Amino acid sequence: MDDGDRPVVVSTGIAMTGQNVAFLLVLVVAVSFFSYSIQRALRTLRVGLPEQRLDAPGRRTWNLLTIGFAQSKILRERGAGVSHAAVFWGFLVLTAGTAEILLQGVWPGFGYEHLLPRPLWQLFMLSQEVFAVIVLAAVSWLLWRRLVAPPKRLQGEEIHSTEAVIILGVIAALMVTLFTTGAFEYVAREGVRATHFGWFRPIATALGGAFGALSLGTAETLRDVSWWAHALLVLGFLNFLPYGKHFHVVNSLINVWFSNTSGPGTVGAMKPMDLEAEVESFGASDVEQLTWKNLLDGYACTECGRCTAACPANITGKVLSPRKIVTDTRDRLREKAPYVVGELDVEGSAEAMRLAPGAQAVLDNRLLDNWITEAELWACTSCRACVQECPVSIDQLEIINELRRALVLNESRFPEEVLPTFESLERNGSPWAFSPADRAQWAEGLDIPTMAEKLERGERPEILFWVGCMGSFDDRAKKITVAFARILQAANVDFAILGQEETCHGDPARRLGNEYLYQVLAKGTIETLDRYEVKTIVTFCPHCFHQMGNEFPQLGGNYEVIHHSTYIERLLEANLVPLQTEHGKRLTMAYHDSCYLGRYNDVYDAPRETLRRALPVVNLVEPARTKSRGLCCGAGGGRMFIDEKEGKRINIERTEELVATGAETIAVACPFCMTMMVDGVAKLEADVNVLDISEVVAAQLDPAHERAPLVAGD
Amino acid sequence: MKIAVCIKRVPDMGARFKIGADGASIDETGLKFDMSDFDEWAVEAALQLAEKHAGSTVTVISLGPDSVQETLRKALAMGADAAVQLKAESVPAGGFAVAQALAAELKDGGYDLILFGRLAVDSAAGITGPMVAELLGLPCATALCKLDVQGTSATGERQIEGGVEQLAFPLPAVCTIDQGLVVQARYPSLKGIMAAKKKPLASKPAALGGVGVTITKMELPAERAAGRIVGEGADAVPELVRLLQTEAKVL
Ligand code: SF4
Ligand code: SF4
Repeated sequence: MDDGDRPVVVSTGIAMTGQNVAFLLVLVVAVSFFSYSIQRALRTLRVGLPEQRLDAPGRRTWNLLTIGFAQSKILRERGAGVSHAAVFWGFLVLTAGTAEILLQGVWPGFGYEHLLPRPLWQLFMLSQEVFAVIVLAAVSWLLWRRLVAPPKRLQGEEIHSTEAVIILGVIAALMVTLFTTGAFEYVAREGVRATHFGWFRPIATALGGAFGALSLGTAETLRDVSWWAHALLVLGFLNFLPYGKHFHVVNSLINVWFSNTSGPGTVGAMKPMDLEAEVESFGASDVEQLTWKNLLDGYACTECGRCTAACPANITGKVLSPRKIVTDTRDRLREKAPYVVGELDVEGSAEAMRLAPGAQAVLDNRLLDNWITEAELWACTSCRACVQECPVSIDQLEIINELRRALVLNESRFPEEVLPTFESLERNGSPWAFSPADRAQWAEGLDIPTMAEKLERGERPEILFWVGCMGSFDDRAKKITVAFARILQAANVDFAILGQEETCHGDPARRLGNEYLYQVLAKGTIETLDRYEVKTIVTFCPHCFHQMGNEFPQLGGNYEVIHHSTYIERLLEANLVPLQTEHGKRLTMAYHDSCYLGRYNDVYDAPRETLRRALPVVNLVEPARTKSRGLCCGAGGGRMFIDEKEGKRINIERTEELVATGAETIAVACPFCMTMMVDGVAKLEADVNVLDISEVVAAQLDPAHERAPLVAGD
Repeated sequence: MKIAVCIKRVPDMGARFKIGADGASIDETGLKFDMSDFDEWAVEAALQLAEKHAGSTVTVISLGPDSVQETLRKALAMGADAAVQLKAESVPAGGFAVAQALAAELKDGGYDLILFGRLAVDSAAGITGPMVAELLGLPCATALCKLDVQGTSATGERQIEGGVEQLAFPLPAVCTIDQGLVVQARYPSLKGIMAAKKKPLASKPAALGGVGVTITKMELPAERAAGRIVGEGADAVPELVRLLQTEAKVL
């Protein structure tokens, strides 16, 4: 690596000065302490339960590249998102420069200019300054936002604001010292001025020019001061990391790799649970019953508040804050870990610590109740907005679900309104106390075969139309059932229903934490489906769709489950549905995304496409929060069965937003959303229709082609 | 304190019933069964008493075919300590036969308190408890909405028309429990369900007494005729009045 007339210093030991030796010592101490801290933190993760997270390394690495390095989730938010991504990318580039600076501290002759061809090296130097400027600008804006005008999501007691300000200050100081070191070097080391400065280091060169009046000696001293300040800040920052929230800088990337929230595995499926396992308790009431990955989530949380800002419960004034769920888990871990795994430095200290005064209080505490209250847990609609927004792929919902399981399965604690739900599920096979004999009443006179009838005739229908409990018993939802059946008949689809043999698959019980009841019901349903050798199921309820398609495999039920939005879209695309060509006047419609269809299953386009195909004159408008950022209707997570007493009603908040689009009709693709929207519209006294997408399509059916003379059951 | 609770397995009363082929029983196909509500409250009352008086045990007893074991398991899952099935092919309609079998089981059990629900929601007779008390020669307090035990005696309250009656009686005694004594029966937790699998459930033949009463015929109430919409608004009033006079004959 010879570069013309510049001396190449290869041997190191001889060139070392007193300063180098001093720095070497500092470096060794800093690195050792850092590794000690990391080990300590890792050790506390051993408090959690084991969980296999090494599967699908390719997929995980892809997540790391897109969500981690390309910052895809951070960038969902304009403004702060862009600033943060800039700081992050700047850091990646600058870390390369930092490595050089630290190495030069012990090995003065070291430099990338010896390793890289000159043009590349110049580019590298330029990138350092460019990113330093960007980082400085971004940090200034973030500081301004923290100190002068904090947005709502950065307020709240669980936030460590002072810490954030200090960290931002340190980053700013790092950038400034980077420039000043270069500038003083420019003045002090005339020998390299020509080769090491110029257009590729515009700021150091310009600053150096400005300091031109300094004597060589002063400049050299200032350069050393600047260099040491920079190096010490770097090492200090590194060592402070594991003790503050900026530990996320290290942990977030690791967490993204280990996370399952964007796959691998089935997105949104609740954790399987072995009810036969010989365990003391079920679910999680303290950190030991969460997995190490749940605990790592705590260390990865940046406290950015994106989750809480998107949480429908929090937005409408409930006590729940998904960020608090995560930070409470972390803080409880920090509180308890020393008593479980001990401190790293003392052998067997866990036992010793448990005898110390004050230990009992900590051991008597637990995550459930002492940190996270019942009210917070029951406020969750399981909408997944928090999981979707989290830039570091934390799974807040899994913690909530595990705690709910502990409440219900170990302690039978749940809102009193839920008891009749559980009892009806047990006795009547649906969440409401309707007689199972009435399940298929909607189908009377509609010439809809049951699986049993088909089997008797020796036929095996192509698809099973799974009606669901809402579709079977709820008066409004029954109209959706009939509309969808009419479409199937008009398209000559070979289908059947289970009729009275259909029972709830238990999803509401599962979401409400009652895994036992869920498994009883789900296994019963799987048995029925397998008895008829069902392969393909179509349903208009996103909860049934998600449960049977994504969670039944955990219990050995494997079926192709299709949501009616997708199914109708396919029928329309294949021109199988006879539609009228007369469309009437142009209609403005807003489609409301169901959480279990959208965020759980990534179905955003099919319902919209169905509306456009069936009704070409439609003018589809989008509410402010839409698609993956759509706001929940308030019915998910078993909230349908719990009274909403605190704060504003979620369905009102959502209906207001939909009505504000100016739409004449709100289209939904979920019977639960239907209930909530109908109620919202009534409460707001808005002159707006609420229709299921299948009702929009059914209204367009060509009467001349309808197979059977169907009179809807209304 | 040793507490026994006698419980009955009954069909879910919200179901649509059909008469069986013999015309004197209900057709059980498709029916869901569970513990009678009053019995559930009696179990809850027993569990609360046991929690208050350390060292107490709660034994649940049910008479019937093997399916009653499911109901007994539920009581065990709620927290009862032991269960006894008095095996019989079916539950005789005459309460006295049942009472004799229960009394035979309870006689030497050394129980301080024997609880029943005020009545079984299917047969609604409410006589088994008092008959057992009579057979055992024990005091009997019925339809209690409050029950407290002090050493070897107990006090209770029962709701009567327009007031409350306060009772005192020595133990052992038989009590039947009315709605309102407990706010709600506890929901068995999974932990409880798992623990129940390991609790003792004895099954022995029921020493049924002679059957005095048999059911000879059962009938469903007459179907209610479908509602009719006469019309809308003020115009419909004359027609409505006419129908109420001539058809319904209520005016
Ligand atoms: S799932 Fe939805 S309701 Fe529950 S904490 Fe997350 S954002 Fe809030
Ligand atoms: S959980 Fe995720 S979104 Fe929520 S505050 Fe922490 S890092 Fe931000």
